Amino acid sequence: MTGVVLRWLRRNLFGNPFDTALSLVVIPVLAWAAYAFAYWILVEAHWEVIRGSLKVLMTGIYPTDQLWRAWFSVATLCAMFGAGLGLAVRPTRTALTIVALAGTLMAAIVANVIDVPSGMLTTASASLGVAAWIGVDHSALGHRIALPGLLVGVVAIFVVLSPPGFEVWGGLLLSIVLTIAVSILTLPFGILLALGRQSRIASLRVISTAYIETMRSVPLILVIYWIWIIVPLLAPDTSVPGLLRGMAGFALFFAAYVAEYVRSGLQAVPKGQIEAARSLAMSSWTVNVDIVLPQALRVVIPSLVGQILDIFNGATLVFIIGLTDFLRAGQMILADPQNSGRTYEIYVFLFAVYFTIGGAITYASRRLETHLAKGSR
Amino acid sequence: MNAIELPTATMSRSVIVSMARVNKSFGTFHVLKDVDLDVGRGEVVVIIGASGSGKSTLIRCVNGLEMYQSGRLTVDGFNMPTEADRAIGGEKELASIRKGVGMVFQQFNLFPHMSAIDNVAIAPIRVRGRKPNEAKATALRLLERVGLRDHAQKFPGQLSGGQQQRVAIARSLAMEPHIMLFDEPTSALDPEMVGEVLDVMRELAREGMTMIIVTHEMGFAREVADRVVYIDHGRILEIGTPVDIFDCPTHERTRTFLSRVLRH
Repeated sequence: MTGVVLRWLRRNLFGNPFDTALSLVVIPVLAWAAYAFAYWILVEAHWEVIRGSLKVLMTGIYPTDQLWRAWFSVATLCAMFGAGLGLAVRPTRTALTIVALAGTLMAAIVANVIDVPSGMLTTASASLGVAAWIGVDHSALGHRIALPGLLVGVVAIFVVLSPPGFEVWGGLLLSIVLTIAVSILTLPFGILLALGRQSRIASLRVISTAYIETMRSVPLILVIYWIWIIVPLLAPDTSVPGLLRGMAGFALFFAAYVAEYVRSGLQAVPKGQIEAARSLAMSSWTVNVDIVLPQALRVVIPSLVGQILDIFNGATLVFIIGLTDFLRAGQMILADPQNSGRTYEIYVFLFAVYFTIGGAITYASRRLETHLAKGSR
Repeated sequence: MNAIELPTATMSRSVIVSMARVNKSFGTFHVLKDVDLDVGRGEVVVIIGASGSGKSTLIRCVNGLEMYQSGRLTVDGFNMPTEADRAIGGEKELASIRKGVGMVFQQFNLFPHMSAIDNVAIAPIRVRGRKPNEAKATALRLLERVGLRDHAQKFPGQLSGGQQQRVAIARSLAMEPHIMLFDEPTSALDPEMVGEVLDVMRELAREGMTMIIVTHEMGFAREVADRVVYIDHGRILEIGTPVDIFDCPTHERTRTFLSRVLRH
């Protein structure tokens, strides 16, 4: 064992004089940085600030007596995530063990930091997710209801969360719900735009192309701001909540990108497929829905999952229309003079959470890519 | 059907495909020049010719995959719309024609995201409005007919070329066509798989299916064709029984072509 390690070290770090010199400089520097960072995390940092502000970070100014609604959302999100996994990844014993360990660790942390009931709720949510994963993977029925189930889940989250008012949604919950809702909304809109761009009807083609190119040539922040301003002008008598206006801006913007991904998928479907379908007297609708889109979407699923990450990271921009997303919640806590010395703690925490979620999405996108590549020989 | 019957004597039975002075161009390239051809019900017509001579284009016109500019083309009692007709909508007529015309492609073009049985059942379900259970039962019978009952649940990627082409034939038959078009059905196959596909086609011909076949398999053409059409640079040069065409071609060009393809 040590032999292997020594050989690896020799070959990769001390292979020639230059490598050796480089290693002698870089390794101590890295070791020192790692030590300093670990020392800061374990000894110097004052993590009570996180414990004290966790509620704000997670849910913003959502009323404390209504937090069960947030917990419902967490459980639903876990179930949706599990169902999504079940469609693509087998729950092998190793995978289940890893998830079980992670869930237990998470629950232990939550029980420690907040209180024991919250820890139990975390455990329950994680178990629900695992159950959905296994259920969807094992049964044909589960497979069939998984996608409609995701839609029902999103609607349920909105219905349950909305009674206290959209303006109190905040924190990580807002970021995640916004991301998921926008991801789902952009899909049908993007597909229609992609089909429109290829349509034989000239007016549809021109409108779709103009829309896509316009959206792709302006910054996201401009679109969000623009929709936020324009909706009250169009509907002066009704007050559309900022959250919904923000979501509309995101959806309108990212639909153009979805359209371009889908278009690349449509182009990847061989012409012979369309000819075969047409020669069987299928209507344009059937050709698109049953033959072309399933093949096209299969190709672009990894990119679409990757785009969820773009939306999630872009969700930080909703602060410009007065919403309190995760990042903004962190800044709000720092605005309290009492916490002014805790900048590093808050930002390290934000970084860790963003990194974990972003990493998970990237990993899922990779896995999907290999999984789909394996499926279509 | 006997060999003495006159090659052009399609009047004795009803005509299913009738082409009169059909012209087709891709831009400035004139592909089909004044093509006249009648195909009778139950007849097997084989089209031969050098590559680029327009034989694929000819049969692709019969189900409207290619548009023609002038002339008259009727298929199974329907007038095939010309390019100008289709620009102002004529797609409904096209769908009626396609329901009765099956087509088998060189590259099989099976739907890769569906199992063999779903490939066969999808068109009857979506186009003819059959119940999924009935359509699948029919599909299974058709797969049995082409010798692939045991492969019904496999996906195209798991089948050999010959098997895929036989599924493709079953898929066309599921629409209960009155006429079948074959566009070089064995050209993309490994030599050892050509036979299994030709066997299925032979069987179809025996059952009285009307077929228009573009192929380079001259032995097969001689065996199953009622008439052979030689096409050269978009023009039909000769039509006749296999004996006429293969043994005593009248045209110099036909002779050159045959000597080239029959030598090896």
